[in-house]
Amino acid sequence: MRAKLLRFTPMALITLAIAAGPLFIDDRYLLKVLTFVAINVVIVTGMALLFGYAGQISMGHAAFYGIGAYASGYATTTLGLPWIVGLFAAIVFSAVGGVLLALPSLRLKGHYLAMATLGFGELMKIAFIEAQPITGGPDGLGGIPYPRIGSFEMAAPVGTYLLAWGIAGLVLLLVRNVVTQRPGRAMRALHGSELGAMACGIDIVGLKVRVFTVSAVLAGIAGSLYAHLVGFVSPSTFSLHLSVILIAMAVVGGSGSLAGPAIAATLLTLVPFADAIIPGLSRDALALIQDWEADVYGLIIILVMLFAPGGVSGFMRRRRAVARDAS
Amino acid sequence: MSLLEVRDVTRRFGGLTAVDNVSFDVHEGSIKAIIGPNGAGKSTLFNVLTGFDQPCEGTVSFKGSELTGERPHKVVLRGVARTFQNTQLFEEMTALENVLVGRHARTKTGFLAAALRLPGTRSEERLARQEAERLLRLVGLEEWSESPAADMPHGLRRLLEIARALATGPTLMLLDEPAAGLNNSETSRLADALYRIRDAGVTLVVVEHDMGLVMEISDEIVVLDRGSKIAEGPPRLIQKDPEVLRAYLGQEADDE
Repeated sequence: MRAKLLRFTPMALITLAIAAGPLFIDDRYLLKVLTFVAINVVIVTGMALLFGYAGQISMGHAAFYGIGAYASGYATTTLGLPWIVGLFAAIVFSAVGGVLLALPSLRLKGHYLAMATLGFGELMKIAFIEAQPITGGPDGLGGIPYPRIGSFEMAAPVGTYLLAWGIAGLVLLLVRNVVTQRPGRAMRALHGSELGAMACGIDIVGLKVRVFTVSAVLAGIAGSLYAHLVGFVSPSTFSLHLSVILIAMAVVGGSGSLAGPAIAATLLTLVPFADAIIPGLSRDALALIQDWEADVYGLIIILVMLFAPGGVSGFMRRRRAVARDAS
Repeated sequence: MSLLEVRDVTRRFGGLTAVDNVSFDVHEGSIKAIIGPNGAGKSTLFNVLTGFDQPCEGTVSFKGSELTGERPHKVVLRGVARTFQNTQLFEEMTALENVLVGRHARTKTGFLAAALRLPGTRSEERLARQEAERLLRLVGLEEWSESPAADMPHGLRRLLEIARALATGPTLMLLDEPAAGLNNSETSRLADALYRIRDAGVTLVVVEHDMGLVMEISDEIVVLDRGSKIAEGPPRLIQKDPEVLRAYLGQEADDE
């Protein structure tokens, strides 16, 4: 009972702190940055499933983020449909994309899978530019409204903050249930040995398609949230650069964990917005960080690979093991 | 009654005939060994029997209906489990989790049911755990239940793979060189486990190099050489079979 309480207390406190955030943060900019953190927690949870649990790689995840953003944006602006329909469209279209991307994954592994998914990402980026009537082409798609249910609008920064974190919390809860039970074990088995997984009666083809699809849908949901938060989407957002950052979050977070990638996503999202959390950071210093952003990520990945190959989750596991041995 | 019927199975790789027109039966409740020198086609035959490979010609029937053409996970669902010559454990998962993955075939909880914790998922999980713990005890690995497979000694890893195969609820289990790399005490522990498994109603087919073990445990032996079956019968007869002696010792039987 006591152990159970100890295990749940930190989660409850974190949840409470996040929910109460808008009460003591009156900096609009910081709230917006924290909303981006929530959006990235949603997408990185999908990456954690795909990469950290099932051992598959996608270098084209920005495409699903884009599909979600455009589907939601197009539905709510051009078609004038309600927000919830836009979100639904984002889920459906990213799911279709996920199934399409799963097809090469059935035949390819490792580097070859990385190349195929990278190709998919680039293909979709060009599609976003060329499908002008839907996406607005290089100029982008603007005037996307804030999420709204009936007459209840969730405006930035507080409304979108609470919505994004609400969805992130729900996603983490549902995905945690998946990874701790039968499907999660099957994914880890797939990661460990495909032959072994088949010998346990796991339909590895069906499992890969499911994992790719779920992970794509989470990226699509994140994309929809992004579109309604920013109000404007353009193709340059959904580039290889973003896909690489997502992989960085998953790698730094470590495999076989949801908390690790969520923490990594939080830290890495804050890098280009350092001025929001470090008061008094000079403009020049911020400009320097933003100019060197990609290099900072690259450096972090190299350092993690060299000194902490288990990433954040590996570090937490070691800490727990030390605590257990000490008691 | 014959549980597994192998009929005229041939598997060619390019110009090489790895398995050449092999037929034999496996009877329910027995332990059958497949032996032969390196490169005799034992592992290829194993892959064909378990859906990991398909024969060019011939058929495999299990409980009277055809097994050829089924994908590996379907073969497992039909009640045929296997282990591998190079153990295929899930290294980062604990021994208990490895066996729990073996329960995959006999449980149902999918993505949606797991995410929403639908009624039934919790009790299914609890029953699966009980069964996995029971199987770990059966092979004598209960003390290792929380250790990652990667941390276990070689001999125990083979037992763990057997427990995982058992978790799939098989009627027939195929073991690919279960004694490879085991010392004497580990081998006798393995033999004990195999008897317990057979007594629990699981028919066994064993590919093995350890002749002591093969002669001790098997009811019948199939001898392969360069892809063909050269002999079949009880251990006592196989030991004296001139063809077998020639294949193993490389001498002409009538040189003696």
